[in-house]
Amino acid sequence: MFCQKCGEPNDDNAYKCVRCGEVLPRVGQPSTMPGVRSVPNYLVWAILATLFCCVPFGIAAIVYAAQVNGKLAAGDYAGAVESSRKAKKWCWVAFALGIVVAVINIIIFVVAAGSTETTTTW
Amino acid sequence: MDASLVVRGKEVSLQQRLLSVGILGLLLASAIYLFLYEPDGSNVYPKCPFHALTDLHCPGCGSLRASHQILHGNISAAFGLNPLMVLFTPLLGWVIVSQSSVALRGRPLPALFVPAFWIWVLFAVIMVYWVARNVPVYPFTILAP
Repeated sequence: MFCQKCGEPNDDNAYKCVRCGEVLPRVGQPSTMPGVRSVPNYLVWAILATLFCCVPFGIAAIVYAAQVNGKLAAGDYAGAVESSRKAKKWCWVAFALGIVVAVINIIIFVVAAGSTETTTTW
Repeated sequence: MDASLVVRGKEVSLQQRLLSVGILGLLLASAIYLFLYEPDGSNVYPKCPFHALTDLHCPGCGSLRASHQILHGNISAAFGLNPLMVLFTPLLGWVIVSQSSVALRGRPLPALFVPAFWIWVLFAVIMVYWVARNVPVYPFTILAP
């Protein structure tokens, strides 16, 4: 089977392309069956990023999660994989930014140790 | 339930199992820290970047304080800080169970296929919640932390 993204020939049982890492369609499954194709949509992470991480990038991940399942239901497997990749990316951006803000805050806290000023937390 | 809406989990790589162990460890460490230290009035916890920039509340504002209250069993106090987040707390339980499944068995739990329509409904709910939290008039003020 050839990769839909880069054209590299792959083993028929391969899950991901050996060259570009693109998730490959599984052989022997009709592409129009809704739901049975397990393309992750990262919906749980998107919701958690939005409600617990306080970074609106989680909202973007929710939009892409909706696109993944919409495209899967419509039989657009390649489109679903593309949206899945974007949903994953925005989840990472949201959590990474949350962690970066937390680390910066700890640095500021350590530098300004002893300050009694109160702040609004998340 | 329609069987075609349940997606069976495939076996995962060692890398993903280790990631799950890391996620569980991070959750546990955060929970212990949040249980011990009150976020309100503390400088140790990060401020919401959106709130710091705009002075408005985002859908996640109040989540740290609400998590602290949940860990101490004060669900109503948590509800007063961020009601939507409290409603979605069971998702965290699901994350713990599903990540444990990946870490211990090397296989995720069967996933439910949520039709796109319901994800768009959730998106709309969060956007409306975002706006409503910032309306400084009763009853919308209930939604603000």
